[in-house]
Amino acid sequence: MTPFDREAGSTDALLTDLYLDALLAGAVLDAAALGEPGARAFPGRLDPAARGAAERLRRDLVRVHPSFRFEERLATRLAEAAMAMRMPLAAGDEGRVISFRPGRGSELDPARATQADDTRAGADARTGPKPAALADADTDPDSARRVPGRPLLIGGALTSAAISIAGAAWVAWRLGRPGRAATPMARAARAVRMARLAAVPGGARLAPRRLD
Amino acid sequence: MEAARRDRAQFDALYRRYLAQVYSYAFYELGDHHAAEDATERTFLAALANLDRFEERARPADGDGASTFRVWLFQIARNAVASERRGRRRHPQVPLEAAALVADPLDIEGGTSTRDEAAHAWRAVGRLPADRRRALVLRFVEEMSTAEIAGILGRSEGAVRVLIHRALRAVAGDLRGADQRREQAATSPDGPPDPPSDAG
Repeated sequence: MTPFDREAGSTDALLTDLYLDALLAGAVLDAAALGEPGARAFPGRLDPAARGAAERLRRDLVRVHPSFRFEERLATRLAEAAMAMRMPLAAGDEGRVISFRPGRGSELDPARATQADDTRAGADARTGPKPAALADADTDPDSARRVPGRPLLIGGALTSAAISIAGAAWVAWRLGRPGRAATPMARAARAVRMARLAAVPGGARLAPRRLD
Repeated sequence: MEAARRDRAQFDALYRRYLAQVYSYAFYELGDHHAAEDATERTFLAALANLDRFEERARPADGDGASTFRVWLFQIARNAVASERRGRRRHPQVPLEAAALVADPLDIEGGTSTRDEAAHAWRAVGRLPADRRRALVLRFVEEMSTAEIAGILGRSEGAVRVLIHRALRAVAGDLRGADQRREQAATSPDGPPDPPSDAG
């Protein structure tokens, strides 16, 4: 085969391809049905036999549908398989970062964060649909009480730290406090000790001095 | 597509959309309903399991909503059909007369000639080498573009065009021969001869 033959073959193949595009789109047959003269001679160089074969294949090579029973059986099997694939995903959901405020957690999601940034940038224009995160905030009845831009985490950490400091100070004060312990167990131990001292001869000497 | 990737339960929409196409391709390749069902089932289960590995290669220039998902799905189907065919070689079965299935059962008047012509067309396509037959089925049955077929068969678009062009010419020659034999049989005073042993 010479390069010229190869080139001619490629051209014929390209013409056939164009013809098939038109045929499968219905353009050729529609034009033929309307009796348009150029319809049958669409690409003039195309072999009439190949053209006839193409039209016949278009008519005879029809799409075959499976049975309804098979379709539903496979649909059920796919749904079960999809459910089985979702189970491990659901089990791993504890590890996800969950936002403190519903509807305001878009910062954690890069895609939604970009959307929110775009909305903030275009807020002056007051055009376009409101993003879901901001819409949620509007419908949230507690949103008015919250200080915007102050995450709940900071408040929680401060509160926790303050309680811890107060607790440590109270424990330190209790340990260093002179005087008697007021717990029931301490009172009981003291009563036993007093009774023992009273039972010992001469124990009166050892009895604690009463102030009154 | 993206919805199905996020939530596998959404895969059902893709399944319903492409079921007939995949099944049809498998049926034309294998010629047997049960084998086609097996290949179809294998295709969709593999597609569901490997959905994360699908890479969208459609460009913005391809148009809004353009997707290479069908090409990816048919690549899987092609492998499933090849696997099914290997299994059938180990357990050979008699293929169904496919032409009888595609003839319109309601077309009583023209049923015989339609069925006969369809049978000839199916046989002519069935006699083609595998790559030409596959390209013709994808072009005519699935109505795919040359680019899509090239993606499925792993060839260049130019190679697929030449493949289809040659396949079409071969089918044309085959059909012309069959038509001539029929005409001769119709004009022969001895009546129609035995049909040629071209089944397959």
